[in-house]
Amino acid sequence: MQKDSNSKKNSTHLELVKLGKIFFKEKKFFDLYSKHKKSSFEAIKNINLKIEKNTFVSIIGPSGCGKSTLLNLIAGLQSPTSGKIIIDGLSIKGPGPDRGVIFQNYALMPWLTTIQNIEFALNTVFPEKTKPDIKERAINYLRMVGLEKASNKFPKELSGGMKQRVAIARALSINPNMLLMDEPFGALDALTRSYLQEELLSIWRKNKVTVVLITHSIEEALLLSDKIILMSSGPSATISEEISVDLDRPRDRQNIEQDPKYLKIKMRLEKHLLRETRAVEEVT
Amino acid sequence: MNKVISKRLTFVVTILSLLIFIIIWQIIAQQGLLVKNFPGSFKTINALIWWVSDPFFDNGPNDLGIGFNLLISLRRVLIGYSLAVLVAIPLGVLMGMSKLAQSSLNPYVQLLKPVSPLAWLPVGLFVFRNSEITGIFVIFITSIWPTLINTAFGVASINPDYLRVSKSLGASKSITIRRVILPAIMPNILAGMRISMGTAWLVIVAAEMLLGTGIGYFIWNEWNNLSLENIFVAIIIIGFTGFILDQLFGFLQDKFDYSI
Repeated sequence: MQKDSNSKKNSTHLELVKLGKIFFKEKKFFDLYSKHKKSSFEAIKNINLKIEKNTFVSIIGPSGCGKSTLLNLIAGLQSPTSGKIIIDGLSIKGPGPDRGVIFQNYALMPWLTTIQNIEFALNTVFPEKTKPDIKERAINYLRMVGLEKASNKFPKELSGGMKQRVAIARALSINPNMLLMDEPFGALDALTRSYLQEELLSIWRKNKVTVVLITHSIEEALLLSDKIILMSSGPSATISEEISVDLDRPRDRQNIEQDPKYLKIKMRLEKHLLRETRAVEEVT
Repeated sequence: MNKVISKRLTFVVTILSLLIFIIIWQIIAQQGLLVKNFPGSFKTINALIWWVSDPFFDNGPNDLGIGFNLLISLRRVLIGYSLAVLVAIPLGVLMGMSKLAQSSLNPYVQLLKPVSPLAWLPVGLFVFRNSEITGIFVIFITSIWPTLINTAFGVASINPDYLRVSKSLGASKSITIRRVILPAIMPNILAGMRISMGTAWLVIVAAEMLLGTGIGYFIWNEWNNLSLENIFVAIIIIGFTGFILDQLFGFLQDKFDYSI
């Protein structure tokens, strides 16, 4: 494995072994009579990866490379066709509250207020807790993302950034030790995005969590991560490279761009992404 | 400012058009332009006032106040409709969630949905030997389809993000149905219930002409009395009641409108 300049505990949190996922096309009634062979689609194959505890890892790759599939597999939302997902030494079978998931489209329930959205998660994960307990916990997490005043608002009354902060609060409220994020800031404007990136970093520092972030932004990956996983273009995408980002923390958005180490990694990432994107575009 | 004026204007225009309609109706009737003895609007309004001023009298089944008849119809509709909704929502959720249920039930739904519910009337009379239960049964058959289809469609087209959140939290199937799926498809359920109510109210009038008592029977009875103005009274009251019922659902739909 690559050497880690951080002095964090180097125990493995998540391990992917020969992970693969094939989507089989569902047979429809008329397909029985059709001469075409049913088509299946191999999204990812032979993914091997180790992620250490409490590290921040970004997965980056051209669009359609199966990044989201990979995240869904780790979250337990889909099951792999081959290979294993090992968390803390145990092979996982499905979703669990040890992993908090954050989606690009926030996925807040529109019929619940912000606090009710968090309470829904808490009630589901901790059915034994009392109502006041749950409420207090929900408010604490809303406060953590600076939204305790919006607790009785409905999602449609919130901006995109606020919605994503509620989603972050919801994911953290169940006290996971891993946070899985699927392009969480992709739909936000640049200013809101950088604000939320700072928020996420400070949350990550305070709460001991391993973060796996899917992104297509090189700058975002460089600013946030300890390690960047580069994926090849799909179908049958796999990991092409793992890059350790040994830049000092806290990283300053303005100064970091002058760092020669930063520029070197950035160039490497850009080259890779360009090459893989070209592969995607020329196939289609 | 502009909005206030236009609102007032629409009100004035509505009243004006109503007045013009009443006057033209009266002229056509008075001059016998349509057919002889066609009741004019004044006669109809007088009849309406007479029926509405004393809606609850009971001189036997063929001479019942219009309020009683309306309540009888409403009761049949509400019982049949409620039973239909109680069946349609769980069945719709099942059809939306399970491919097996979908493919085994869909043929019946598609086959029975286009049939006029009145075709079931003789079946009901034969089985139940009771006009009251038959009326409720016909309304049940009428009301079930739109709610069932809308519910199933709502479940099938639910935003997968909600289900993913629920699944990622490890929620059980029962929690997912009660706390995620049902609230998420409330707009679809209400839209289906609104259409169901509309058709039920259409069908009850026709069914009651054959069943005795109720607002539909009132119309049939007044036809036998050749009292067209009383039929117009019934039409106005049926229309108004249907409008109120529909607005009730409009109000509910606004409450459950999640769109951004």
